[in-house]
Amino acid sequence: MMRIYIEEVGSLNNLFTRKTLDNGINLYTCSTDKFKTITICAFIHQNLEKDTATKTALLPFVLKRGSCGFPSSRLINRHLEELYGADFGGDIIKKGERQIIQFFIEMVNPRHAGAEDKILDEGLKLFKDVVLNPVTEGSGFREVYVEQEKDVLRRNIESLFNDKFNYAIERCFQEMCKDEPFSIYKYGSVSDLPEIDGENLYGYYKTVMSSSPMDIFVLGEVDEEQICEKFNRLFSFERQEKKISTSIVIKDVERERFVEEKQDVNQGKLSMGFRTGTRYGDEDFYALMVFNSILGGGPHSKLFQNVREKESLAYYAFSRLEKNKGLMLVSCGIDFNKLGKTIDIIKKQIKDIKEGRISDYEFESSRKSLINSYREAADSPPMIISLYLDGIINGVEESIEEIIAKIQRVTKEDVVRVAGKVTLDTVYFLNKK
Amino acid sequence: MDLIGENLFYRKFDNGLKAYVLPKKNYNKVYAVYSTRYGSIDSEFVVPGTGERLKVPEGIAHFLEHKMFEMSYGNVFDKFAELGTSSNAYTNYTNTTYLFSTTTAFEESMRLLLEFVETPYFTEESVEKEKGIITQELRMYEDDPEWQVLLNLLKALYHRHPVRDDIGGTVESIQKIDVDTLYKCYNTFYHPSNMVIFVAGAVEPEKVFDLIMEHEKNKDLAPQDEIMRIYPEEPDTICKPKIDVKLSVSQPIFLMGFKDADVGYDGVELLKKEITVSLLLEVIFGRSSVVYERLYEEGLIDDRFGFSYEGQKDYGFCTIGGETRDPVKLREELIKSISEVKEKGLSREDFERVKKKYLGDFIQGLNSLDFIANSFISYYHKNINIFDYPRFLKQITFEEVSRRLYDFFDFNRMASSTVYPKE
Repeated sequence: MMRIYIEEVGSLNNLFTRKTLDNGINLYTCSTDKFKTITICAFIHQNLEKDTATKTALLPFVLKRGSCGFPSSRLINRHLEELYGADFGGDIIKKGERQIIQFFIEMVNPRHAGAEDKILDEGLKLFKDVVLNPVTEGSGFREVYVEQEKDVLRRNIESLFNDKFNYAIERCFQEMCKDEPFSIYKYGSVSDLPEIDGENLYGYYKTVMSSSPMDIFVLGEVDEEQICEKFNRLFSFERQEKKISTSIVIKDVERERFVEEKQDVNQGKLSMGFRTGTRYGDEDFYALMVFNSILGGGPHSKLFQNVREKESLAYYAFSRLEKNKGLMLVSCGIDFNKLGKTIDIIKKQIKDIKEGRISDYEFESSRKSLINSYREAADSPPMIISLYLDGIINGVEESIEEIIAKIQRVTKEDVVRVAGKVTLDTVYFLNKK
Repeated sequence: MDLIGENLFYRKFDNGLKAYVLPKKNYNKVYAVYSTRYGSIDSEFVVPGTGERLKVPEGIAHFLEHKMFEMSYGNVFDKFAELGTSSNAYTNYTNTTYLFSTTTAFEESMRLLLEFVETPYFTEESVEKEKGIITQELRMYEDDPEWQVLLNLLKALYHRHPVRDDIGGTVESIQKIDVDTLYKCYNTFYHPSNMVIFVAGAVEPEKVFDLIMEHEKNKDLAPQDEIMRIYPEEPDTICKPKIDVKLSVSQPIFLMGFKDADVGYDGVELLKKEITVSLLLEVIFGRSSVVYERLYEEGLIDDRFGFSYEGQKDYGFCTIGGETRDPVKLREELIKSISEVKEKGLSREDFERVKKKYLGDFIQGLNSLDFIANSFISYYHKNINIFDYPRFLKQITFEEVSRRLYDFFDFNRMASSTVYPKE
C-alpha cells in the first residue's frame, strides 16, 4: 500500500563555490535569484574550553556596541534602517565541542525595494567595520561597553532558568557530560565575568581574529567574482591560522544516572540523555537519523504515538540528536506523579526498535519526513548555510541531494544495528518542591 | 513598477469557500493552510438554524482543533506522515488554522487537508483522552513566564472581552467540553463561507483550484447566513492598572500596554491604523531610538526588550517591555519617555527611516512560505490583503503618525503586568 513519492530531486541551487582569501579565510559563495535577500554569514571557530568560553561569548556582543565608523549601537541601527532594515546580528552557537562566533547581515535585494545598488556595498562596509574595527580606548575595548555587556551576558545566562523547557534539556546535558567540554554552556559562566575587562578582552579578540579558522558565506543574487574581490579587500588583515581540534570526547556509559531538581513549577520536565556512539561523518549516521525519527521525530514516531496519543501523558514528547557530538535527547512535559510510568514507556519504545519491532509505517514515514525536511531546508538561506557549516565542522562534503540519497539507502537492519549502540546515560527530572 | 515580484491568484467557489494561490516556482516546498474565522474570542454565538444562543466553555475552539485530527479510521497525522508531509494546526484569538508542508506529495496532501477539516468525528472516549493531553499543554504554559505576563496584561486591560481569557482555556473549563458542544461549534464555524484556503509554493494555481473544485462539488452544503457572534460590551477604560504575580524566574519580567479605544472597523482602515501605530512604536522605542539607548545603558533593558501592536476589529492594544532588574523604574522611565515625545513631537527623519525599514522587513519576510501564509491568513480574517501592505505603508504620512501619538498613548488607558521571582 505504501507508495514512494520521491521523484528525482531537481537543482536545489544550494551549492557553494569555495575560495580562499589571501589571508586564509574561506569564502563560500552561491549566486541565486531564488531569494529576495542577500545573506552574508561569518563563522569564527573556537574549541569549547572552560578558560575561554565566557570571553568568546562576550565578543560578538561587545563588537555590536560600536565600531570606528558607527561608534554606538544606535548609529549602527540607524544605518541598518537606512538600508531598508538590513538584519544584522552577532551571537554564539555551540556545535558539538566547538564554540562559534557568528555574525550575519541579511539585506534586501535592491531590485525588490526599488532602491539603488549601494545597499550591498554599504551593508558590507558596516559588516566589516563592526567585526574588524571596534571602538577602543587606550589599549582595550571601550570599558563602559564591556561592563554593560558583562551585565547583559550575566542576565542572559541566568535567564535560562525562566525557560523551563530548555533549562531541563541543558541541565541534563550538563550532568551527563560533567567532565567533558560539552557541559560548558554556550555563553560560558557567570563566575568568569569579574576577571574580564576592556584590555584583556581586546587582547583576546586580537588573538581570536588572527588565529581562529574563519568561514564566510554569501548567498543571494550576487556576482561571485566581484564579491570575492570585495572580501579580499575588506578582510585583508594579517592572520596566522591555528588548526583547531576536530576530535571530540567520546565516552562509554558506565552506569545509568538519575538527577532530580526541585523548583516551584506546575509541570514536571523529563529529559533523558543518551550516547549514540555515532556522529555526523560516520558511516551509520543516516541510519541514526532514521532511528531518531522513528523514536521521536514527529507525529509518526513511537514517542508521539505512545506517550501522547495512547497514554495521554504529555502534550509534547520528542527525541533529537546532537549530531556533532553523537548524543540523543528525549524530552517531555508530564504530571509529577507519572515519572516512573513515562520512563518505562520510553524505555520500552527504544527496546522495541533494538529488537526490530519497527512497522513499515514507522520506517517509511521516518525516512520520508527526513527527506521532506532536507528538501525544505533548501528553501531557507539560514538552513542551507547551517547544513554546510555542519559539513565543514565534521569534514563532510555532501550536497542535499547526496544526503537524500543516503537516507533512501538506509534499511531497517541498519536502524536496528545503530540502535544497538544507543545507551541511556542520564535521566534528569525537574520536579515540584 | 513591480517591487515585490509576486502574483496572487484567487477563486471563489459556489459554496462560499475562497481560495488563494501564490506560486513560487523555484521553491521545493508547498505550504498550504485551511483556516476558519473562529478563535477563542468566539465564545458566545447563535447556533445557525436553531436560534439557540450558546455560551461555550473557554478553550473550546482550541480543543476542537485538536479533535479535528481524529477520523473514524484513526489519526490523520498518520496519513500525512505516510506521504512524508508534515502537518500541524494552531488556534489563536480570532482563527483556527490547519496546515501542511510538503516537497513531494502536494495533491494527496491537499485532498487530505480538505477531507479532514471537512469531516468532524468526535467520540466520548477520544474527547476524554484529549483532556489529559491539553491539561499538560496548559500546565506547560503555566510555567512560561512570557506567556503569563501577557495573559495578565490582557486581564488588566479588558473588563469582559474574551481576549482576556487564555486561548486554551483553563484546566477546569476544558473539563466541561463534550461531544455535543463540539459538534455545535463545528457546524457553526466550519461552513465553507466562513473559511479560506491559501497555498504558496511550487504549484500551478489552476491545478490547485481544479483540485479544490473537484473535492467541493460532491458536498451538497446548504448556504449559511452570516454567523451571529456575541461579544460582551467592553468599555474604553482599563479593568485594573496593574497585575503582579510571582513565578519561578531569575529576574522580573515587565510588560505594559495601552488599550486602543479607536476600534470597531476592519479592512484597509485597520491596516492603516496598524501600520501607523507600529511605526510610532518603532520611532519611539526601536533599536535606533534614544530611549532604547538610554534604557539599555542604564541596565534596565537588554536586547530582549520588545514592543508590538495587535489590532483586531473589536479590540486593539500594544505591549512594551521585557526582562528587567527593576520593573518599577522601567515603568516610570517608559512613561517619562512617552511624555517627552508628546511634548517635543516626532522627528520626520526618524519616521522616514523607519518606514524604509518596514518595507525591507516585509520584503525579507517573503523569503519564507510559512511567514507569507500565516501573515496572509491573519490579515485575511481582518478583511485585509497582506500584499497591499507595501502600498499603504508608503502612503502613511508623518502627520498621521504624529496625530496618533496623542490619541493612542492615553495614560488613562495604560496598564502593566509584572512577573516577579519567587522568594
